[in-house]
Amino acid sequence: MRFLPLALLVCLLTAGDTPPVRIFMYSEYIDPTLADAFKAKTGFTLDIQLYEAQEEMIAKLQTGGTDQYDVLVASGVVVKQMIGLKLIQPLDQTLIPNKANVGKAFLNHAFDPGNQYGYPYFWGTSGLMYDPAKVKGEPTWAWVLDPASQPGPFTLLDEAKTTIASTLAYQGKDMNSRITAEVKVAVTALAAAKNSPKCLGFAGGVDGKNRVVSGEAVVAMVYNGDAARGMTEKPGLKYGLPKEGAEIWIDMLMVSAKAPNKAGAHALINFLLDADVAAQNANFIQYATPVEAAMKKIKPELLANPAIYPTADELKRTHYLEDLGKDSRMWDAGWTAVKSH
Amino acid sequence: MRANTCGWNSRQTTCWSCAIKPVIIHDGYLTTKPHLYGRGALLVGLAFLWMGVFLFAPLAGLSALAFASRGEYGGVEWTFTWENLSRLAGHDEFGFSWNHLLILWRSVVLAAVTTVLCLLIGFPMAFWIAARPAAARPLLLALVMVPSCVNLVIRTYAWQQFLGSQMPAAWVAQHLGLVPDGASLYPTVTAVYLGMVSAMLPFTVLPLYTSVERLDWSLVEAARDLHAGRLRTFRHGILAQCMPGLLAATILTFIPSLGMFVISDMLGGAKFLLVGNLIQQQFGSMNNWPFGATAGLFLVIASLFALWGLRIVSEREAGRR
Amino acid sequence: MTLPRWVPAVSWLGMTLLYLPLLAVAVLSFNSTRYGQSWGGFTVDWYARMVSNEAILSAAWNSLVLGVISTVLATVLGTLLAIGLNRRPWPRWFKRGSDLAINLPVVTPDIILAIALVGAFAVLREWSAAFKPGMTTLIIAHTTFQISFVTLVVSSRLTTIGKDQVEAARDLYANTGQIWLRVLLPQLMPGIIAGALLAFTISLDDFVVSFFVTGPEATTLPLLIYASVRRGVTPEIHALSTVIVVGTMLAIIAVTWIQAARTAKPQE
Repeated sequence: MRFLPLALLVCLLTAGDTPPVRIFMYSEYIDPTLADAFKAKTGFTLDIQLYEAQEEMIAKLQTGGTDQYDVLVASGVVVKQMIGLKLIQPLDQTLIPNKANVGKAFLNHAFDPGNQYGYPYFWGTSGLMYDPAKVKGEPTWAWVLDPASQPGPFTLLDEAKTTIASTLAYQGKDMNSRITAEVKVAVTALAAAKNSPKCLGFAGGVDGKNRVVSGEAVVAMVYNGDAARGMTEKPGLKYGLPKEGAEIWIDMLMVSAKAPNKAGAHALINFLLDADVAAQNANFIQYATPVEAAMKKIKPELLANPAIYPTADELKRTHYLEDLGKDSRMWDAGWTAVKSH
Repeated sequence: MRANTCGWNSRQTTCWSCAIKPVIIHDGYLTTKPHLYGRGALLVGLAFLWMGVFLFAPLAGLSALAFASRGEYGGVEWTFTWENLSRLAGHDEFGFSWNHLLILWRSVVLAAVTTVLCLLIGFPMAFWIAARPAAARPLLLALVMVPSCVNLVIRTYAWQQFLGSQMPAAWVAQHLGLVPDGASLYPTVTAVYLGMVSAMLPFTVLPLYTSVERLDWSLVEAARDLHAGRLRTFRHGILAQCMPGLLAATILTFIPSLGMFVISDMLGGAKFLLVGNLIQQQFGSMNNWPFGATAGLFLVIASLFALWGLRIVSEREAGRR
Repeated sequence: MTLPRWVPAVSWLGMTLLYLPLLAVAVLSFNSTRYGQSWGGFTVDWYARMVSNEAILSAAWNSLVLGVISTVLATVLGTLLAIGLNRRPWPRWFKRGSDLAINLPVVTPDIILAIALVGAFAVLREWSAAFKPGMTTLIIAHTTFQISFVTLVVSSRLTTIGKDQVEAARDLYANTGQIWLRVLLPQLMPGIIAGALLAFTISLDDFVVSFFVTGPEATTLPLLIYASVRRGVTPEIHALSTVIVVGTMLAIIAVTWIQAARTAKPQE
């Protein structure tokens, strides 16, 4: 990431007339050397703009930012919302021949039938990272949600949808439940877990991982990428998807509604779906790629790491989170309740 | 007072042009009202025009947002509704709840305790700086402000590191038995206030200093000569003179603290929503801009009330002087 | 006048509270482990990387330029406002109203300010392309909320000064220009400087307003830092923060030195 801006500046200085392709994404979510490869292949310069949380991106786009970016990266759960708010435009499918490289399982989701608006970039899960020396047994949400079975200090993920959905899964309900009574029960249980003495509070994935690595916590609710990093910092730590069910998420590449460089945007999406590029990218940032054609070029140690590529068994108990439309208000009220009591 | 500044000499009549522009005395010199207020308007008008265009007008527009509805996907639909106000009062999808009141209460308590702590530490600091030789004073003031140049998140993150389980502070606490072995010193209430005070202290010290530096010590000595006790000397000699700075310091500490939530989240475990969280989330993950505008404007109005109260208190104190 | 013994002690406590996190940041900037608390060994690698990181350098430059310009603008406007309000016998309703107006930016949550400003710019953009999201809008936005802080500090200083000196100067046949230059502004200087310092640091640290108001070409430091925090704060950011602190302190010491050398003649 450190070399990218230097390369960028050089490119910008030498680019002259070609307009840049601006992508709006999380930090450290792309291999920096790909910018050169992109320029060599298409002649466009890659300009990376960063956001801290995708909600902020959506807010910024809503206030007239759609003409400042070309490609947007956001997770599937907000795609429907972005379509409804007219923040993204339908893709010109003829400009993305590499879509054939994507694994069938990652195409044609309910939030974007026929992939009219976006193609997948990376996918992952949200589960539990733990220290097997202090926590025994199969991962279960009871480790954080049941005061009677908490093995030690823990953190919860500071993300409304994921945490409430995980609590619902623990209680055996649908992770996308629209039933007020069910959500209310989940919210009460979550508040109780938060107030239990062993709870160190809500934290982002990175903070939770740091706590487990330093030994201050024995369990943390994290994203799989954070767990993979933690396992490199302190070998011996484990990541698992609880048996009651967990969230699987997928980040999509989309084109902004008023993208100034439409051709470049499509070129970038096509470029990132190329088998070699996707493999190089995935090997660098250590997240799971949905590009099936790239799988044979992924490093074997990454493939063997369940924190990056879950086993088939684990995948069976994962669910995508959906945009709940009007019922999102109810979940939001629930989250406010969790954090007020 | 009426006077014929034009030189017309008569006891019975006043010159008609001087009658139109009555002369007044201001600051010891003669001038006319239009001249006085005209120049004053220029001084004042520049800033007000700027703020009017870029802030007051859009804020008025935002107030309209408080009565708009939220669109299906989170946009704004301009249909009139009371829903935002009723949500503010506690009526949400689960029925009536005290959540928002609890949130407000927690924010007020945090801000109030932070302000008191900052004043307790900042007041002596202001005096100490004022007592230094004249050359050292601006240097010390600037040193007080320098930590604010570092990003708040970074500073709070540094507190997290400092209070971590493997650092000396936590070791001492663990040995003293205050925390279990291997635990860090956050998330705790102490950690939150450490972070808040360390963040807000410069905003307290600077305004306080501007009053303390100009303190008339002869008045304090006079009070002591008149056999006033330590407390009364302090209250009527020192405190009364420092009122303007005290007021500014309280405003600049309490009000921003009311809207802060980063420190409470990072050092307090993000277990409780504060007003700042609530408002921010409406424009973020919860995507309910009308309610965000309502909650935000509620905070503005409540703060203005608090300010008004502070001003009355200070005016009463100044009146007693 | 001697201060009670506990006053210096409390002051040192205050200074410690302020500088303790900075010390931790400085120590961490030499840590060779990229993530995590454990001490991996001393290294100046991060400083080297930071210096060659174009994104950080350009963001730092943007923040500096933005801070200086907006602070100057805000200090001028705010000081004029404070003097204008304080030195005229305005009717009571006007005083109350302007009180409200000045306190409004201090009282308004950042996000509301941001949305309001974005709305204003959206409307103004129809009229002139100068209001496209970028450096100009950033400067305007920062100045807008800085004015209040300057005004509040300068006002309190003005009230403390009082009217006697100005009246005395008038009695001695000073005209308005001389009053301003010889009586008012010198007395006001500590207040103006304090207000400017306050405004500068607020601008340097602002995230929310900057995020909404800026364009892709004008990233500021807080924007860069916030985006990196999500992935974990790297020692590079710590190195940057330490450099900022040390740089600011050196600049201040230099300025004070020059001031002290210049005012070697007895004036106080």
